[in-house]
Amino acid sequence: MPGDAALPLAGIRVVDLGWITAGAASSTLLLDLGADVVKVEGPGAPDPFRRWDGAEPGSDWWNRSPFFNFTNRGKHSLCLDLKDPRGREALLRLLEGADVLVENFRRGVMAAFGLDIAMLRQRFPRLVIASISSQGETGPDRDMVSFGSTLEATAGLAALTGAGEAPVITGRDVNYPDQVVCLFAAGAICAALLERGRTGQGAHLDLSQRELTSFLLGEELIAAAAGAPSPRRGNADPAEPEERLVADGAGWRVEWPGGSAPVRDGVALAAAEDFARGTAVLRSPDGTPAKGIPFRFANRTLAVQDSCHDLGTDNRAVLAAAGFAPEEITALEAAGVLATAPRGG
Amino acid sequence: MAVAPLAGRRVLDLGALCAQRPHALAASMAARLCAGYGAEVVRPLPSGGEPFAATPPLLPDGGSALDRFLNAGKRQGATTGRFDVAIGDRASLAAHAEEVPVKARISVFGPGEEDPPMTELGLMALSGLFGIVGEAPPAPPARLAGHQVSYSAGLAACMALLAALLAGGEEVVDVSLLDVAAWLNWKVAAGVMVMGSAPVRGGARVTWFTVPAKDGHMALVYQDKDWPPLRDLIGDPRLRDDPRFATGPARGANRAALLEVIGPWFAARTRAEITAAAQAKRVPLGPVKWPVELLDDAQYRARGFLAPDGMPALPVGWDGQRLTLEGNRADAG
Repeated sequence: MPGDAALPLAGIRVVDLGWITAGAASSTLLLDLGADVVKVEGPGAPDPFRRWDGAEPGSDWWNRSPFFNFTNRGKHSLCLDLKDPRGREALLRLLEGADVLVENFRRGVMAAFGLDIAMLRQRFPRLVIASISSQGETGPDRDMVSFGSTLEATAGLAALTGAGEAPVITGRDVNYPDQVVCLFAAGAICAALLERGRTGQGAHLDLSQRELTSFLLGEELIAAAAGAPSPRRGNADPAEPEERLVADGAGWRVEWPGGSAPVRDGVALAAAEDFARGTAVLRSPDGTPAKGIPFRFANRTLAVQDSCHDLGTDNRAVLAAAGFAPEEITALEAAGVLATAPRGG
Repeated sequence: MAVAPLAGRRVLDLGALCAQRPHALAASMAARLCAGYGAEVVRPLPSGGEPFAATPPLLPDGGSALDRFLNAGKRQGATTGRFDVAIGDRASLAAHAEEVPVKARISVFGPGEEDPPMTELGLMALSGLFGIVGEAPPAPPARLAGHQVSYSAGLAACMALLAALLAGGEEVVDVSLLDVAAWLNWKVAAGVMVMGSAPVRGGARVTWFTVPAKDGHMALVYQDKDWPPLRDLIGDPRLRDDPRFATGPARGANRAALLEVIGPWFAARTRAEITAAAQAKRVPLGPVKWPVELLDDAQYRARGFLAPDGMPALPVGWDGQRLTLEGNRADAG
């Protein structure tokens, strides 16, 4: 049975500027591995996931977005205006004690805040900075605007996906590259912490979601370079020639020698015992469903340990821990550099 | 000093000894990533040889591109010797990795449960990740190309074993192929559990799909705020005046009518022309590219992502450098 050994990232401090899934859920994985995560959002630019489907209108809609709360459970919340020089200065003080910074802003936004990466690397040489973006930090397409499914198209996945005549993208209900990058980015951050242990140096990790999506089709790229065809195979898997997709009442079923599986929709998935026994969705201490953890440890208990904090709840505690005097914090509050609600909310 | 977070670490890749293909692919990917991070990766082979040696896609020289991709940076060897990490399924780990301090164990459902015979498409079906992708019923769902479910499990396994190495000491990482796929598909599960209704394949709110262009397809991807500039770009007054196109749900429900209006505009232009025009208005449309087209992609070339033989670099720039597979074969091993 899992014991009480410290979690692997215990003592690691993460400053999370991540938005929606690609950035924010990468930080959540670090949290689940034991890191202390402070999510920083500006009062003029909260995580767009706060304005999503199901965010009930009301006095504090920004604290009621189901998908935001699902994803960001357990993080400290600091609402700090990075466009204000005092806010920028506060973030820099926070980074003095931090091990990891995660961001997935549009390229150029960090520099516009006066937080360009070269300066951060020089000032905080042990800091691991993970920049997650569509195309990467460099190259002629670095400023191309994309959502996850745009990248499925540009990375080669859509061309090879589809049971009919048209290539298929997963759409906003999956946005596959946004999901899978979290698994790779959190791993790369762990690798960078190992490398820091070896060399004493932090790193800037330039993570392109498009590149990852192509990497996950690596065999097709190698085949294409050798002149072998890489056609759209629909639902056929050449490695499983006896596998079949068959109609099953109103739905579908996959059959193969030795087994079969229903093609589940969301209702069937949520009702399935194997899903409930698993770790894909867990519960926050307040009982609400929460983003799960895609693995287990035999010697350590992994769990969702805290519910979602309201915006700015931890302003004072986070800054006090970073060495701010109470009167400094009060002054930032009075100036609106710290907040507990979006501007114009 | 070259960046090599796993320099000096020895990884036992039991992917070739896994009983089932999804497990084998996941373990092989996790070990492949370890090689990318600089570990010495040893891959023992069964008596029949490399199990992916004849797995598609096949190359003109008769080899397997899958074998070439997944086993790059690894060497064949025995299960004996000191290892820091072992990656495999339950049986291969029990047989060959008893003494290895960090183990990553791939299964269908997780620890303590039997592994039934399983395929990648079966996992995709059970996780809901098959049912949500593709055109609306009665069209069948669409399988994500390649080995996404297994490779994602490999990514998860690699992350967890890197964390275990940071912690030091012994650990067994359990990665359930089903849990990882369902974790990727969280919006569908959370839709039911926190919103009260699940998104469905090809539902009325789906407004993203691919559209034929002059030389291929475009991915039509946009948010509500992008509709006015997109509509103005296409320039047909019906897009502005017809109530069937006024809102996202209306456009989703009237997709055939929408396609009648926008289809000719897309069909008359190349992917490059459409992409340039849309991007100039910050609308996130993108071209559907085939793998062969990526070999000559300007962005990938500028970033040194693909080698001339198509081999992708580990998809991370590290202080502006790429990690290479050279030098981690641990001649010192």
